[in-house]
Amino acid sequence: MERVERTATTTAPAATTRPVEYEDEVDLIPVRTYWQLVRIRFLQHRLAVMAVVLMAILVALAIIVPTLSGNAYTKTSLTKVNLPPSLEYPLGTSDIGQNVFLRLMKALQTSLFIGFTSVAIIALVGVSLGAVAGFFGGGTDNVVMRFVDIILSLPTFFLIIMIVAFFGGVGNATTVIVAIGITGWTVACRLVRAEFLRLRDADYVQAARALGAGNQRIAVRHMLPAALPPIVVACALGIADSVVTEAALSYLGFGIQPPAASLGNMMTNALDYFFRAPYLILYPGITLILIVLSASFIGDGLRDALDPRQRIESK
Amino acid sequence: MATYVVRRLIQAIPILIGISVIAFVIVNLAPGSPVDRFRSGRVSPAVIENLIRLYGLDKPLPEQFIKWFTAFWTFPFNVAAWGYSFVDGRPVTEKIYERIPLTLELMGTALLVTMVVAIPLGILSAVKQYSWADKVVTMFSTIGYAMPSFWLGLMLLYVFAFNLKLFPLYGRHTPGNDSFGDLVWHLVLPVTSLAIQQIAGWSRYMRSSMLEVLHQDYMRTAKAKGLASGRILFRHGLRNGLIPIITLLGLTIPSLLGGAAITESVFSWPGLGYLGVQSVTTRDYPVVLAVVMIGGLMVILGNLLADVLYGVVDPRIKY
Repeated sequence: MERVERTATTTAPAATTRPVEYEDEVDLIPVRTYWQLVRIRFLQHRLAVMAVVLMAILVALAIIVPTLSGNAYTKTSLTKVNLPPSLEYPLGTSDIGQNVFLRLMKALQTSLFIGFTSVAIIALVGVSLGAVAGFFGGGTDNVVMRFVDIILSLPTFFLIIMIVAFFGGVGNATTVIVAIGITGWTVACRLVRAEFLRLRDADYVQAARALGAGNQRIAVRHMLPAALPPIVVACALGIADSVVTEAALSYLGFGIQPPAASLGNMMTNALDYFFRAPYLILYPGITLILIVLSASFIGDGLRDALDPRQRIESK
Repeated sequence: MATYVVRRLIQAIPILIGISVIAFVIVNLAPGSPVDRFRSGRVSPAVIENLIRLYGLDKPLPEQFIKWFTAFWTFPFNVAAWGYSFVDGRPVTEKIYERIPLTLELMGTALLVTMVVAIPLGILSAVKQYSWADKVVTMFSTIGYAMPSFWLGLMLLYVFAFNLKLFPLYGRHTPGNDSFGDLVWHLVLPVTSLAIQQIAGWSRYMRSSMLEVLHQDYMRTAKAKGLASGRILFRHGLRNGLIPIITLLGLTIPSLLGGAAITESVFSWPGLGYLGVQSVTTRDYPVVLAVVMIGGLMVILGNLLADVLYGVVDPRIKY
């Protein structure tokens, strides 16, 4: 009779778990790695799964439609102004005869791009600074954390407006991304720092050190994986925040400028014809809400799934 | 308590200096100079030279910073403490003082509405967990949270101001009518758009805080000794469930300035946030700096207020 080896470190997928006969009840619990459990828990979160599907559809649309249609979203036509929805123009045309559907897809692309890249900056800066602070502790930690305190005390949105307005020039996506990125990393930094401080004296880290592993190896290979789960959740939720921030910036006239399209500037443009064609502001608004909802449900689902204390519901 | 407050205020000093340095550096690193607006054929170079000397722009940056920073704190006695606006030449203190009450009016009302609505909603959905009422509240808060406040504001404007003509489209008063009723009439839509988003967050928070309290041992004890359920809920439950809300209050106060910038712009409400956005657009640096400093002060004071209130309501916390 064969017994399953209880190793916690295997990352093998579920398929390789050998079918075995069990001797007693204890062994009836199938052996699963942490990531298998995470996947099972996430799949049990119905809203989160729906949100992943929705996000996948949005990302696919944002990649495919603008790629196929090229620059058509900027094309204006004075003979085809304010048309109702039709086969050629699924969402009708705007006040200057632009294809609203194509613009919306391009805007979706821009907004998602800004959302993902600014969160990437947030994660990069937050994780690096948090890791350095938590790893070295003491004076280094003190300096980094006081810096965090200062950034947290600044009125964030106003600071972003300042950076974008003073350094961006007009319609510069890069400045928007950088501004959101360099003001938003404090949460990630605190999370990673707390985890690193906790792990600094953990037995397995001591063991790695005793085996002669260098600082960099210990930090990256041994401590970072443990600090990742809360970061992953923070990033998912951060995407929602970044997308909304971009829209608010554009609404106030600081973000992406036409003829480029973003969800925010589509709203601003629609504003000029708000009382004649209010549906023009509905499309970007609803798209924005869908992005925010799916990002935050994915975040919630990941939070529950990555938490090892969460039980798996038996079917 | 007093020593705790003093200690916290002393700890705030380096943070305030940090905020000022960052704000000052951003403003001064920005390409272009404040006097560029005068550089046209009609203004002689000598006049511009004089302006540069007048604003102290010829001095090295650290010297300019120290001069600005020390002058900044003389504002209780000195009208010129925050400098003069580049746009209309008025003292910045004056411009800001007249905006603060208007922002407080809007934000205070929104906060009040938020508390009055969100706390009962949170209690309701915690007490009747998983009931249809809880599901409705949760759904509302999820959607309310996902809706950008300015978009919601625009929708409200379209439906209630433009279509139904129930409320005004913009501003704080109808010209020529300074009555209180007129002010309230103008407040309804901006307050609603601010409050809906905050209610969404607060009711969620209140729900989880209440749920935690409801499962405590002392709640079971109260029930076991035969107290009426209303008394258990309000005397034993609510009092403890409200404690975390205080933190939320401390966090919300400063974020009101940022939220205000957008909502005030949507409804053309002449508050501090609107002034801030306008001054960034016109590069009115003295005003921008003052708004950032006030925002920072609000964060620091908001946190301090939350911590002090925490000690007041929760006797387990000692300073």
